[in-house]
Amino acid sequence: MDYSNQIREITSKLFADNKIDYFVGYRQNSFDDSQVPFLITDPAEIPKLVFTDKSVFNLANYLKPDHTKRKRVGLVVKGCDSRALNLMLTESQVKRENIYIIGICCEGTLDDKGQKPQNCIECVMPDPVVYDEILGTPSGKKKYTVNADIKELAEKALNERADYFEEIFAACIRCNACRHSCPLCYCAKCCIDQETSTLYNGANTTSGAMHALMTWSLHLAGRCVDCRNCEKACPSHLPLHLLHKQNENVIYENFQHHLAGMEKDDRGAFYKYSLSDPDDFIL
Amino acid sequence: METEVKEAQGKIVSAENPDISAPADWKPVIIGILCNWCSYAGSDLTGTSRIQYPPNIRIIRVPCSSRVDPWFIIKSLQSTADGVLISGCHPGDCHYITGNYYARRRFLVAKKLLNFIGYHENRVQFSWVSAAEGQKFAKVVAKVTEDIKKLGPLHRYKKENF
Repeated sequence: MDYSNQIREITSKLFADNKIDYFVGYRQNSFDDSQVPFLITDPAEIPKLVFTDKSVFNLANYLKPDHTKRKRVGLVVKGCDSRALNLMLTESQVKRENIYIIGICCEGTLDDKGQKPQNCIECVMPDPVVYDEILGTPSGKKKYTVNADIKELAEKALNERADYFEEIFAACIRCNACRHSCPLCYCAKCCIDQETSTLYNGANTTSGAMHALMTWSLHLAGRCVDCRNCEKACPSHLPLHLLHKQNENVIYENFQHHLAGMEKDDRGAFYKYSLSDPDDFIL
Repeated sequence: METEVKEAQGKIVSAENPDISAPADWKPVIIGILCNWCSYAGSDLTGTSRIQYPPNIRIIRVPCSSRVDPWFIIKSLQSTADGVLISGCHPGDCHYITGNYYARRRFLVAKKLLNFIGYHENRVQFSWVSAAEGQKFAKVVAKVTEDIKKLGPLHRYKKENF
């Protein structure tokens, strides 16, 4: 999967036609073969743009806050990124007429070790759902599979699972990089920032981290698109996907196979209801 | 996901942490979050009808069951509570027409997530109680209290531990 040349061509055309003010893409990292997000305003920098298997980050994150109100932006999206962008469009965070989207039919990215990461193996939508221009051949929607980690953990005893998660929450340093790297966490004032509040447990302790991560994952329940930007940003390398995939799994099984960001004007599972929702857990 | 509840030498062992136990006469603290229009009125009827129910529940009144943010539950469990009961109107009876339908979805996801990270599924319970069901409210509280008494004290993620 190498679309570097096509992206360079399209970008230089967009700049020549004065359709965009800046472009968000990827460039080669200077010290290894990884890639970093790259923002260009000058067409002279276009040759630095690349797109290969190593383009792992979600660029929809670079459209906030309020950027697209004043500037016209072009960006590259993979399947999962386009789902996040679709949700941002539905939630009126981005102006559609001010962005130019180059959608890539993704064949799966590669991590630092050169292997396909778990979320690419289990990907349900490798094709972009919202785009102006599409590169590659669409392969269609894939079958949803339950995450292997979730299956494994659900079979464990309650005590073991509790110990496992207590370790995870104890390792959290509460830097909030997970929230900053999430394209769907765009609130100007976030509830997990209240460090001195007596209502909110803002302490940098295990209980504080548990409160923050649980609240965060429940705010993203039914909206998370499994791009795993949060995990890539986490300095403690916490398996944050466990919380999100668990929610996604419950929502998929119980609420009419709902998956976030797949359709236009779908605001997520918690913004609608059905009379036949499961009721057996209620006394 | 069900775990066996151990009872050793007349002591109640915590379901989440086998190292923690309480004496046999230990009484749990339960936070009850009730909707103003049905369950709160229902609990009022229980009182005025002189129906006995366990005194372990501490009641908080909210406008609607959809007012309950999942972090109310997390906050309760991190404070002194050993369990949480959330109660609202029956589906279709909501004062705000659709509030409890939205709440029902949120409760299911929150309950499963809390169970996933290591709370026993009976720690957090939900019920529909209408304003005329004073008898049912007493039964629900009795059941929840008994369930949580079996689970023992909750010791994970407590604020005062740090």
